[in-house]
Amino acid sequence: MLKKAGIIFAMSLFTLSAQALDVPISGTVQSRCVITTDTPGTYGNPNAYTLTTSSSDGGVQPIVRYDVTLADAYYAQITTPTSFTTSPSLTDTVTWTGSTSVSSISDATNMAGYEAAKTTFGQTTQFDLTATGSTWFTSTSVATNGGNKAFPGGNYSATIEAVCVAK
Amino acid sequence: MLKRLLLGALVGFLPSYCYSDNITPYYGTTGNAAQGGLSWSMKDVLPTPPGLDINGIFYRYTPNKNTADDMKVHVQNKHANGNGYVFRDTEDWSGHQGGIEVRKLIGIGDIPRSAWGDGSIEVEGTGTVEDATVIYSYKVDPCYDPQFSPSCPGYKTPIPDIPTVNLDDLYDATKDEYVNLNDEEKLSIEENEERLTEEEEKEKKEAEEKKRKYRLEKLMSISDAAALFAETQMIEQMNGIMQDQLNNTYLAATIPGGQYKETIILVDKKLPDSKAGLRNGLAQQILHEKMISKQYK
Repeated sequence: MLKKAGIIFAMSLFTLSAQALDVPISGTVQSRCVITTDTPGTYGNPNAYTLTTSSSDGGVQPIVRYDVTLADAYYAQITTPTSFTTSPSLTDTVTWTGSTSVSSISDATNMAGYEAAKTTFGQTTQFDLTATGSTWFTSTSVATNGGNKAFPGGNYSATIEAVCVAK
Repeated sequence: MLKRLLLGALVGFLPSYCYSDNITPYYGTTGNAAQGGLSWSMKDVLPTPPGLDINGIFYRYTPNKNTADDMKVHVQNKHANGNGYVFRDTEDWSGHQGGIEVRKLIGIGDIPRSAWGDGSIEVEGTGTVEDATVIYSYKVDPCYDPQFSPSCPGYKTPIPDIPTVNLDDLYDATKDEYVNLNDEEKLSIEENEERLTEEEEKEKKEAEEKKRKYRLEKLMSISDAAALFAETQMIEQMNGIMQDQLNNTYLAATIPGGQYKETIILVDKKLPDSKAGLRNGLAQQILHEKMISKQYK
């Protein structure tokens, strides 16, 4: 009887150990906020010590597009440059200014207020994306060499940082 | 059993496969309908092929307004039957600043061309619209008319429509009551017709005569040819007989071999002139001289 009970106990233990299983869980989260470059910018050089994206000064204003499929879930934060990513060696301090504004929207009724409601801190502009759809933002970037000294000859480039921040 | 099911399924899908392989719908976009103003006729915008359905609209414009003003902008197409709109999209700019462009792409179900009336951008309130663009995307099904191609479903081989004409209904100038002829003209026409009839009969007779002559000549030429042939045959036969005779004459002779010696021996060593010849020559000479001398008498 004890032998039988021992066998049954051993089998129950065996059964318990065989039922243990690690079940994997996986999933994919698709972004509800997609950022794309609509138009790359170009610096114009209206005078020796200024680089600007203003079209009146020979530049091209960069345009970034936000596509949002979830309403009232994201902020668009766009930061204009504060330094060159590539440039000749500079000995003077460069002064940076910049701004960002709404250039186009896909839903006037719900997005026309984005521009009026934007907030700015430093070089960064934040928009509250309250509606679904597409929004195009235009930025302006101006770099002025210190002491109004001429920029050295060479290639200059800078980047605008566009971020989708979840609320 | 499985094989049969697969075969059945294959046969079932075959017609649709063939159709899509041959004639498939194609897609396109129009130009800017608002290029000439804020209203347009779809006849001027859409291409001509039948079987065209509009499946989407893209528009953009920039409102020019004061922030405080109320303004609504409608992009729309009237229904072709005059009742309401087949498409209408409204943006409310009231209380918002102008100068911000709106870009909108709107997908719609395939709506046939026949439903689309005139299009426009209508401003309701205070403000204007600038830099407007309206573009329609469309789908064209070439088999909308099954007779477009034999590959289209429902195609029927056309049977030409041959009209039937009643000969009595055809115009006859001689029976035209509006053609008024006087007696002299009628007589002239009758005479002309008689003359034409006579000429036709004469021409027929001449043609018949020509044919008859031709047949006769043909017949005679055939008999002449037969006679000539017979004569030629006869001459050939005679020539053959003659040739045979000649062949017999010559071929029958036997020439013995050996040496043939001269058998005539000239006895006199000198041959004297013939006196008869001399006499004749003298007479000829005398006659000749007489004739000459007669010229000088």
